[in-house]
Amino acid sequence: MGCKLRTMKRSEILPVDVMFRSVLVSLVFFATVKAFATEPGVDFARDIRPVLSNKCFKCHGPATQKAKLRLDDRAAAIKSEAIVPGKPAESLLIERIAAHDESRMPPEDVGDPLTPEQIRLITKWIAEGAEYPPHWAFVKPAQKPSPKTATPTSNPIDAFILGKLEQMKIRPSAEADRLTLIRRVTLDLIGLLPTPQEVEDFVSDNSPNAYEKLVDRLLKSPHYGERQARYWLDLARYADSNGYTIDGARMIWPWRDWVIEAFNKDMPFDQFTVEQLAGDLLPKATQEQRIATGFHRNTAFNEEGGTDAEQFRVERVIDRTNTTAAVWLGLTMGCAQCHDHKFDPVSQKDYYRLYAYFNSCDEPTITIGGSPDLEKKIAELNTKIAKLQKVGDQPGVNKTKAEIKKLQGKIPSTLIMRERAKPRESFIQIRGDFLRKGEIVNPGTPSVLPAATGSSRLDLARWLVSDANPLTSRVVVNRYWQQFFGRGLVETENDFGIQGNLPTHPELLDWLALEFMKPKSGTPWSTKRIHKTIVMSETYRRSSHSRSDLNERDPRNLYLARQNRLRLEAEGIRDAALSASGLLTPKVGGPPVYPPQPAEVFSFTQSRHPWPESKGPDRYRRGLYTYIWRQSQHPLLTTFDGADAQTACTKRNRSNTPLQALHLANDPAFYEFATALGKRIVAEAPTDDPGRVQKAYRLCFGRQPTEAESERLLSYAKDLPEADRWTAVARVLMNLDEFITRE
Amino acid sequence: MLHSESTRRDFLNASGLGIGSMALSSLLARDGHAAERNDPLAPKKPHFAPRAKAVIFLFMAGGPSNLELFDHKPELNKLTGQKVPESFTQGKRFAFIKGDAKILGCARKFSRYGKCGMDLSELLPHHRDIVDDVCWLRGMKTDVFNHGPAKVFLSTGSPQFGRPGMGAWVTYGLGSEADNLPGYVVLQSGPRGPRGGAAIWSNGFLPSTYQGVPFLKGENPILDLSSPPGVDRNQQREFVDAVGDLNRLRKQTVGDPEIETRIAAYEMAFRMQTAAPELMDLKKESAETLKLYGAVPGKSSFANNCLLARRLVERGTRFIQLIHTDWDHHGGSLDLGKSLDNICKEVDQPSAALIKDLKRTGLLDDTLVIWGGEFGRTPMGETRETIGRDHHIDSYTMWMAGGGVKPGYLHGKSDEIGYNVIEDQVHVHDLQATILNQLGLDHTKLTFRFQGRDFRLTDVHGNVVREILA
Repeated sequence: MGCKLRTMKRSEILPVDVMFRSVLVSLVFFATVKAFATEPGVDFARDIRPVLSNKCFKCHGPATQKAKLRLDDRAAAIKSEAIVPGKPAESLLIERIAAHDESRMPPEDVGDPLTPEQIRLITKWIAEGAEYPPHWAFVKPAQKPSPKTATPTSNPIDAFILGKLEQMKIRPSAEADRLTLIRRVTLDLIGLLPTPQEVEDFVSDNSPNAYEKLVDRLLKSPHYGERQARYWLDLARYADSNGYTIDGARMIWPWRDWVIEAFNKDMPFDQFTVEQLAGDLLPKATQEQRIATGFHRNTAFNEEGGTDAEQFRVERVIDRTNTTAAVWLGLTMGCAQCHDHKFDPVSQKDYYRLYAYFNSCDEPTITIGGSPDLEKKIAELNTKIAKLQKVGDQPGVNKTKAEIKKLQGKIPSTLIMRERAKPRESFIQIRGDFLRKGEIVNPGTPSVLPAATGSSRLDLARWLVSDANPLTSRVVVNRYWQQFFGRGLVETENDFGIQGNLPTHPELLDWLALEFMKPKSGTPWSTKRIHKTIVMSETYRRSSHSRSDLNERDPRNLYLARQNRLRLEAEGIRDAALSASGLLTPKVGGPPVYPPQPAEVFSFTQSRHPWPESKGPDRYRRGLYTYIWRQSQHPLLTTFDGADAQTACTKRNRSNTPLQALHLANDPAFYEFATALGKRIVAEAPTDDPGRVQKAYRLCFGRQPTEAESERLLSYAKDLPEADRWTAVARVLMNLDEFITRE
Repeated sequence: MLHSESTRRDFLNASGLGIGSMALSSLLARDGHAAERNDPLAPKKPHFAPRAKAVIFLFMAGGPSNLELFDHKPELNKLTGQKVPESFTQGKRFAFIKGDAKILGCARKFSRYGKCGMDLSELLPHHRDIVDDVCWLRGMKTDVFNHGPAKVFLSTGSPQFGRPGMGAWVTYGLGSEADNLPGYVVLQSGPRGPRGGAAIWSNGFLPSTYQGVPFLKGENPILDLSSPPGVDRNQQREFVDAVGDLNRLRKQTVGDPEIETRIAAYEMAFRMQTAAPELMDLKKESAETLKLYGAVPGKSSFANNCLLARRLVERGTRFIQLIHTDWDHHGGSLDLGKSLDNICKEVDQPSAALIKDLKRTGLLDDTLVIWGGEFGRTPMGETRETIGRDHHIDSYTMWMAGGGVKPGYLHGKSDEIGYNVIEDQVHVHDLQATILNQLGLDHTKLTFRFQGRDFRLTDVHGNVVREILA
C-alpha cells in the first residue's frame, strides 16, 4: 500500500484515526524519553542499522526505493519525512513500524513486525538526532590505546581481550599445559604433529623464552609455507583441472609453489598482492612475477562442446571480480552483478567498474624452466602468431598455436595473465546478462571507498594495499585470527559490509590491522610477524577446555576466555596421520601426486580421469599435493569439508559425519597409516604392552595416556592376535576425536 | 565372540564411570534405537504441514526429447525441412545449431491415453499404465543451454557450480528419518557419469553433513563401507566400542559436546555397514516385484535403482536422486533412432513400475516422484551423420507424481511446433519451489547465510505452482 503517500503532505494522507494515534505515539514517546535518560546512547551500527537493513533496505535501500523512500541515506530519509531528527513523534517511520493495521511496515507478507524493543531504540535514536555515522569498515582503522587491565599484560592482544573479559567479570582460563601447547602451535603453524623428541625438548626447556624459541623454529620451517599456502589456495579456488563438465587437466602447480615460497620467505603482503594481481604489469616483470599472476587463472574453464566462448570468458572475469572483492575487501560484490546491492552501498556500476580492471586480459600459458632452446623456439612461434594475426590468417594461427602446445607439453608450464595491448570496452551488463550491454564504464574502485589513481590492474593492486583502503588489512588479519581461533573477530569473515557482523573487539581488530600494515617497528605487511604476535599472546595459549561457568555467559566463546577446540582440515588429517605413522615424505613443492583413492571415484564423472597411483615417496606427500580434479576431488577432501575449488573459500566448514567415521576407520590409505604406526610402536617402544601404549599416545597426541585410557586400550588389545595387535591399537588412536582435533 | 560385554563393564566400573553414564547410548544405538540423534541430520520440523516426506528425483541426464516422447506436434511433420520463422528464433542462442536450422519432423507415433487424455509416444508403452497417476508438466522452461550448467541449475537453482543441490537443501531443512543410511542418496546408471558430476549433489556452502552420497555399484554402495581386510564384524564392534569409550574419557576432560556427536557418528557408521548391504540385496524382493521393475539382483541398472529408491524411502531416506545417462540425442553416435529406442527401453518400465509399486504399498501418498532432464530438444533438426535435435530451453516436459500433486493432470502447453510455452509455464525455479512446498518448506524461508547473503535454492525467483496441487 501507499506507494505515493510519501510525496504528499501528512495532512493529506493521514486519516483522522492515524492522526489521533500519532498523538498517542507522542505521549508514549514523552513517557519513554524519561526512561532513556539513564541509559547510554543508542549505537547506530549496533542497534539501528542492522534492524533497518534487515527489515527495510530491501525495498527502501540502495537498490530499490519503493514509494520513492530511501532509508539508508539520511538526507533522503529526512526529505521524505520518514525521519524528522529529534522528533520521533513526527517521523513517519515510527508511525509505520508501530502501526497495528495494514499500514504496518514491513507489510505482513514481507516480514515480521519489529519488536517493541527495536521500535523503542529507533525512537530513541531519532530523538537523539538520527545520526548516520558511516559504516565502521569503510572508515580507516584508527589506533586506540589498549585498555588498562587489572592483570598486567605485555601483548596488546591480551590487553584488549582481557579488558573486555574484566568488564564482563569473566575469568580467563589458565594457559594450556606445554604438551597441548606444542601440539597446538605446531599444527597451526606448520600443520604437522610435533615429534616426541620435539615435545620432550620443549617440555624440558626451562628457559623463560622456551615457547618463543619454539614459535621461531616453526616459523622458519619450510612446512610453514605449505600450511599457510593451503589457506591461500582456498581463496584462489586452486585446482589441477579446468572444472565444469569435461574437467580436463591443467598445469598451474608452479603458481602453488610460488605461494608456498612467498610464505616461507615472508614476502610482505602488499608485494604478495601486487605480484599476484598484476605481476605482468610491473616494470621488467620477472618470470616469478608472471607466475604469480596465476592467482586469477585458477578460474574454471568450460571445455564443453557448443558453448559460447565469450559467455564463459565473461564468467571468468566475473569470477575474478567477485574473488578480488571477497579476498581483499571482504565485500560481497557478486550481489551487484545483476542489480545495485540491496544492502551495501555498491551499485551495479561500481561492480562493472571493478570488473573493467580484469576485462582486458589474455590468458596465456608460459613454460617454466624449459631449456633455452625450447623457450627460444616458443618465442619465435609467438612472434609468428602475432604476424599471422595481423594478416588475418586464422588457420595459420591455430596451427602455430598447436605447435606451441606440443612443445610446451615437454616442459612444465603454468597459466598466467597478460594485459592486451588494446583494452576491451566494459559495459554495465543489464540484469547481469552479458548480451545486454548498458552504459560504458571505466575501471574504478567502489564509490563508497576512496578512488584509486589510474585504471590498470596494477593501479588496482596498489590501491588495495594502500593506506587509503580501509578494508584489506582488516580483512586479512581477521582471516589470520580465524586460523588461530576458529572464528574471526568479525565472524562474517567474508562480509565486512552492512549485513556482516560487527567485530567483537573492534579496537583489537584495528590494532592488528595497523600493526600489520604499518607497524611502529619491523617490516610492514609481514605475515610471519603478525602470526608470531598472535600465537605469542596469552589469549592464544589458553586452555581450550569447556567451562560450565561460561555456558550461559558466553556459550559461543566469542570473548575468548578460553581457546577453541578445532577439528583439523581435510589435508591436516592426512598430514597428522602421516606424521604419527612416520611415513611422511617431507618434500616441498612440485607436481601434484596421486595417493591411493578408490577407483569408483570416477564412476561419478563424465570423463574417467587418470589416477596413476603414486608409489614410493610420492605416496606419502602432504594432503596439499594431492591432485585436485575439480569435479571429482579425492574423497578425503570431499568428506572432510575441503574447499570446493569453485568459488573463493574464506572459511572451511567443520562438519562431523558418519561418512567421516567410515573414512578414518576403513579407508585403505588410513589403514596403511595405522599399519605403519603399529610397526613403529613395536619398533621404537619398550616391549611391554603398557610401555607401547604410552609410546603410541606420545606419537599421536604428544602426551601420556591417563590410567583409564591406558587400561581401556590394553583391555582392547589383549584379545587381539599378536600379529595385528598394534595395528589395531594404532587404528583406534587415529580414529579418536583428539587425533583429528587441535586442542 | 571375542568381544566380551563383561570385560567392558568391568572396565567401565573400574574407571569409575559406570555403565549408565558411558555406554548407555552406544548400547541403545546398537539395539537400533536412535535414542539420541546427536547429529545435525536429526529430523527437523518443516515450516508447515507437509504433503510429502520423501522425494525421488528421476534425473534424465542429457535432455530427453519432449517432441519424441510427450509433446505431440503434428505440425512438425508438415513443416519438416523448412526454416523456423524468425519470430521464434530471434535473439535465441543454441549450443550447436545455427539460427537458420530446419524443422525436423517426428518419426514416432503418438496416441491419447487415460482419463486425462495424455498424448504418449509409442516409445513409452509402460507409461500408459500411469498416465492417470501422473501430473504432466508440458510447459517446462529453463535458462541454461549447456549440459553441465543446466544440470547444476536444475539441481541447485544456479548455473554456477558450487551451490548446494536440492537434496542438500532438503536434508538441511528437514534432516532425515533414516538412522542407519544417508539422508540424501544418489544412484546412477547409464554409460557414464553425468556432466556436472559432483556439483549436482554437492553440499555447496552447507556443511558436508548434507552432501549427497553417491552409491557405488555392487553390494557395498558407500565408499569405505567395508571394514579393512581381516577385521570381522565383532572386531569392528570392539573397535567402535574402544573408540567410543576413549572419546568419552576425553570428553570428561575437555568437555566438548562435539565429541558426543562424533561418538554418534561412529555408531551410525557401524550401523550403515550392515544396513547398506542389506538395502542393496534385492534378492529379498519377490519375483513379482523384480519382474514389475525388470530388476535383476546383483546387476547395476536403472531398474535396480528404481527399486532401491523405494527401499530407501521405506528406510527413511529423505531425498533420492537417480541419474540416468545419456539422453543427449544430437544425432551422430547418439540419435533419435536406435539410441532413443534403447534408452526408452531402459527407463520406461522401471519408471512406471516405481509409481505402481509406491502406489500399491501406500508410499506414493507421501513420496514425491519427479521425472525429467535439464532441458528439452529443439523442434529443428541438427545436421550430423544421423538425425538428432539440439538442446532446447524454452519448452520441454517433465512429470511429477504422488506427494500431494494432482494425479492425471495436464499442465502447460507449447505452441504448434513445441518451440515456446504458450500456457502455464513452469520455470525450473517454480518446480523447485513446488518440491520444497510439498515437503512443508517455504522456498523463500529456507535460507543459508553465505558471503553476506541469504542464499536459497530458488535464488530470488520461483513461485509454487498451486494449480497442480491436489
